[in-house]
Amino acid sequence: MILLGEFALWIALPVSVMGAVLAFLGGVKRRGDWVLSGEMSVYAVFFLLILTSAGIIVAFLTDRFDYWYVANYSNRELPTYFKVAGLWAGQRGSLVFWALLLSLFSVVATVSNRHKNREFMPYVVGVLLTITGFFLLVLLFADVNPFERMPFAPADGRGLNPQLQNYWMTIHPPTLYLGFTAFTVPFAFAISALLNGRLDTRWIIITRRWILLSWFFLANGIIFGMRWAYEELGWGGFWFWDPVENASLLPWLTATAFLHSIQIQENRGMLKIWNMGLVVTTFLLTIFATFLTRSGLIESVHTFAENTKIAFLFLGFMGSIAALCIMLIVWRKPLLKSESQIESYLSRESAFLFNNVLFLAAAFAVLFGTLFPLITEGITGQTITVGPPYFNRINLPLGLALLALMGIGPVISWRKASRRNLVKNFRMPIVVGLLVALWFYMMGARQVMPLVTFGISSFVLTIIMVEFVKGTKARSRIEGEGHFVAFLHLIGRNRRRWGGYIVHVGVVLVFTAFAGAAFDRELITTLEPGESVTIESPLGHEYNLTYQGLSSARGDNLAAKTTALIAVSEDGHPVGTMTAEKRLYLTWQAPVTEVGIRSKFLEDLYLILESVSDLNGAFLNDPKAQRATFEIQINILVGWIWYGGLVISLGGVITMWPSRGRQLNSDQKNSHRDPSGLTA
Amino acid sequence: MKNNSRFLAAVGGVSLVVGYLIWTGVTETMTYYLTPIELISRVEEDPTFHQMGVKVSGRLERGSWSRDSNELLHRFTVADIEDESVRFPVEYRDILPDTFNDQELQDVVLEGRYREDGVFDATVVLTKCGSRYEATPEELLEDFIE
Repeated sequence: MILLGEFALWIALPVSVMGAVLAFLGGVKRRGDWVLSGEMSVYAVFFLLILTSAGIIVAFLTDRFDYWYVANYSNRELPTYFKVAGLWAGQRGSLVFWALLLSLFSVVATVSNRHKNREFMPYVVGVLLTITGFFLLVLLFADVNPFERMPFAPADGRGLNPQLQNYWMTIHPPTLYLGFTAFTVPFAFAISALLNGRLDTRWIIITRRWILLSWFFLANGIIFGMRWAYEELGWGGFWFWDPVENASLLPWLTATAFLHSIQIQENRGMLKIWNMGLVVTTFLLTIFATFLTRSGLIESVHTFAENTKIAFLFLGFMGSIAALCIMLIVWRKPLLKSESQIESYLSRESAFLFNNVLFLAAAFAVLFGTLFPLITEGITGQTITVGPPYFNRINLPLGLALLALMGIGPVISWRKASRRNLVKNFRMPIVVGLLVALWFYMMGARQVMPLVTFGISSFVLTIIMVEFVKGTKARSRIEGEGHFVAFLHLIGRNRRRWGGYIVHVGVVLVFTAFAGAAFDRELITTLEPGESVTIESPLGHEYNLTYQGLSSARGDNLAAKTTALIAVSEDGHPVGTMTAEKRLYLTWQAPVTEVGIRSKFLEDLYLILESVSDLNGAFLNDPKAQRATFEIQINILVGWIWYGGLVISLGGVITMWPSRGRQLNSDQKNSHRDPSGLTA
Repeated sequence: MKNNSRFLAAVGGVSLVVGYLIWTGVTETMTYYLTPIELISRVEEDPTFHQMGVKVSGRLERGSWSRDSNELLHRFTVADIEDESVRFPVEYRDILPDTFNDQELQDVVLEGRYREDGVFDATVVLTKCGSRYEATPEELLEDFIE
């Protein structure tokens, strides 16, 4: 099975190259049979990559430590669950996994469009197979073959890094990869449109769901990563502006911009070149992110030379794609002319444009900050880095401006907003926003940024709520339905619009959570069993934590773990216990900390077993080795990130949900040209 | 056309603001990323460098870690990766990452200030794990022989 997998990997490369060549030539020479062969190659490559991935998973499950990749990321006692996840635990497996997901999406895109959108197919298939082929090429020729054998078989593997042995970490990378690879489909359609000259909104309409799907996975992937950092790595933090985090944020930022700017193209026939630029940029950033997360290019600036082959392959690939795309866009420039113009600053087009400019500015600032060490090293020979203060400083104002636009954009009129439109829609929400900020000020909140965030968030939520209420009432009046039924039908009839609003609500929750972090409290204390400590929440109540002692045991894949038990009472009433651990993994020398979290709607009580004065004694259950140091945190509103993530997912699913038959368009009056019958 | 140029002006305005934010962001938060050898020679050239926040990448000296259990203070020694005779003590008052381990060969990245008394006052300690997660076949062979 493993050998079969390796063999399949070798076959997949020529198959995808042949398929890509046939599809492109078939498109140029109008040879339908060649294009069909290309399509067959898409299916074949997918099948071969399933075999390859199965081969790797079997190697993990059967403990084949003579394979270098398995020896590095597994050990005998590793739970089966993590052995399967070994496929994407390291660079080599992830590249296979990436190619697998891309070929899965290629199959779906081919099957679902080969009849409906025949004229796009040759080049779509060609582009998809070229990208897959590139990854296969890297796998086979850049010293990263996952099937590399060693001349001997170690008795056991080195084991998976304990920090990766966490539920969120097993689903975080696949989710991001789904987002990265799904974006290749819109990119392929865009290139196909450039090549065959069908540059109306057709390619956008075809791929709109793909864009949403990709965006959906990226958003979830980023949030899963935050969740993992919060539990496993961050000591209560969830975002560090680490290069790898930034790399996953970048395509999300440009994809979000794209998702909005295509609506201007659909409704007003503007921004065609801009959209082409965005789809190419986002695609390149997904490749960049894959490359960066799996090459360690930035962190190990001084050891860059280690993996030059893969770096040059990736940079060369991205460079040639960028060059080709620019050439194509310049070539097709006459067909990409704008059909209308912006008429006023006070219009929806303008709000969307500013949204785009801000998203791109944020993306540029993040990219610049991430690459800054490389740039300075290249120019001056001296590495200079910028840290979280740089990123916060720029992205806070940009984020707040975007947050405000999220309220303005959906209700301001297209073309030119009248004074009446502005007063009617914005007077009440602005008042609500100001009152909320004032209320928090009176409650004692003094930091400017959180107050502004809370104010703008309430402004946006009010606008969205008013929209929902107005829509529901109107529908209930016209159709004579009850309010609840009317509400559901309202969403169902224009899923894209109302689903989008729900996504906005989720984003507001996440922003509010970020602002909440300004009120976090923490303290560090050393306790003997029986001693207790009090921490006051900024929400007014008090926690009292009493340390009960340590107890040790063995566990799955663990040499030992010691658990600290803490009794918690809130304002004098016992509310339960919490535990925090130190674990000693079989394959890892240093002890690993597992935190305890007690979540409430508005705050988390977060407990870290910082250290145990005699850890070895504690592992042996020595009753004298009980003295321990804890860090206790109260993290305000952090849970809202995860709730916001759920709301975003819900909205995303509503937006993407396939429509049965014809969708009526409640927003028709706003749009002067709308070939699909769908608007924002 | 007139409206479009007005728009370009607005976009230009946003770009200027963002450019300004990036510029001040960089100049006010940039940190030199140095090796211990570079750090020490910088400080000798220019004593005001003691006041500057810097980022240093070096090697944790085996067995050098100790902690004061009354106050949360970690002490350890970091040496230059190329020349291990160039070294300085480090003090750090926060939670160390789980991967921090002075019992084996480990590279660390410190952020903080190199004080006049020759002690590095770290505010951030990161361990470089990239190389720890993957071993070459030769290293695996060594493990195997052990």
